[in-house]
Amino acid sequence: MIAGVLAVYAVLATTLLPRLLIRARWADRAPRLAITLWLAACTSAIASAALSAVAAAIPPDAIGHSLASLIEACFAMLDDGVDLGTMSAGSWLVLLSGGLVVARAAYGVGAVMFTAWRERRRHAEMLRILGRRDHELDAIVLEYGEPLAYCLPGRQAKTVVTTAALQALTPEHLAAVLAHERAHLRGRHHLVLALADGLDRAFPGVPLFSRAKEEVVRLVELRADDVAAHRHPRVHIAAALVSLATGRAPAFALGAGGENALTRVRRMLRPAVPLGQREKLAGVTAVGVLLAGPAVVMLFPGLTALIAHHCHDLFVF
Amino acid sequence: MRVLGDLESTIMDRMWSYRRPASVRDVLEDLRRDREIAYTTVMTVMDKLHKKGLLRRQALGKAYIYEPVLTKEAFTAQQMRETLANSGNQAATLVHFLERLTPEESAALEAALRVYPPRGLGS
Repeated sequence: MIAGVLAVYAVLATTLLPRLLIRARWADRAPRLAITLWLAACTSAIASAALSAVAAAIPPDAIGHSLASLIEACFAMLDDGVDLGTMSAGSWLVLLSGGLVVARAAYGVGAVMFTAWRERRRHAEMLRILGRRDHELDAIVLEYGEPLAYCLPGRQAKTVVTTAALQALTPEHLAAVLAHERAHLRGRHHLVLALADGLDRAFPGVPLFSRAKEEVVRLVELRADDVAAHRHPRVHIAAALVSLATGRAPAFALGAGGENALTRVRRMLRPAVPLGQREKLAGVTAVGVLLAGPAVVMLFPGLTALIAHHCHDLFVF
Repeated sequence: MRVLGDLESTIMDRMWSYRRPASVRDVLEDLRRDREIAYTTVMTVMDKLHKKGLLRRQALGKAYIYEPVLTKEAFTAQQMRETLANSGNQAATLVHFLERLTPEESAALEAALRVYPPRGLGS
């Protein structure tokens, strides 16, 4: 029963939930909350799939009685070889598939992080030979004809601008761009992106994960713009964006097309009203429900038994 | 390690500036104008740069003469192309300020920018 509910939830979360989330108009007004919501949805789907397998594998009477006996049963399964031996082949298979889901997710994210780390190290090495440290800008300047600004996350995080970008930008605009890049670094956006990318690679074609990745890639840019806008006039960020995005060689048009640039410039010029308290609360609640939901469903019978037990005590005394 | 890394960068810069092949001895004499440095150190670093594919070398008598494989510009371009090509998973590696606008779009936006006066911090 519990296993069924969780399994159905996992299916709905991976297929219908992204359609619901993508329609959220408020996402561009609160990119950080939207990113959290997408990642919570991903975690929720994986957790429910894994817990569904656990629920299916442990004997129903263990779940049914009380929280204590459920935990007891789990522990018994974990450290008692004898108990494991008595499990049916079906239970084993179910448990194994649940474990596979988690392992696949972990492997996907780990692989992306590792590749990224290796590429970053290689790039940092290249920067060491080609780049020039500019102490005033607190950035590495790279002699290069394409106007680019980017950051290299990691332990020795670096912000990089090319000489062409220095020529294309006024000092104020450059400062705004560097603030944007530092917002990526400080916000640990590379980890957020690695998580979304890793899950998409682990489960290709699953609507939730592919949508989450697309959205997170877009939303971190909006978030970095917003952070930069705390310290810099929005119009500078917009102007810098236009200067950097104009006249780019086609080879450098990767990922986001002009559409995102347009959204970003418009957002900077016409700031939307930030979310109200109630909307924020609703968002945070949604995150909480997504994260805690699967565990609550899993423990539901146990919890009700526990509460019933306590209430009984209350009645007695 | 850090010092060796800086030395790699210095030596590459010198090699690029010569625009002709140079031996370890040539580079050593050049560097010695600024600092005290051992022949073996320069030799080690140049050997490393050769192994990394930045310098190519040719035996000339008992020593090697070295030469950059690519010009600085060509090397930068190659490295950047590779980095950016890898970033199909842009996600994980570098976060780019890499948007692209068509000339019409940017013309329209620039017009919009002229209309918007800067309204102070965070406005």
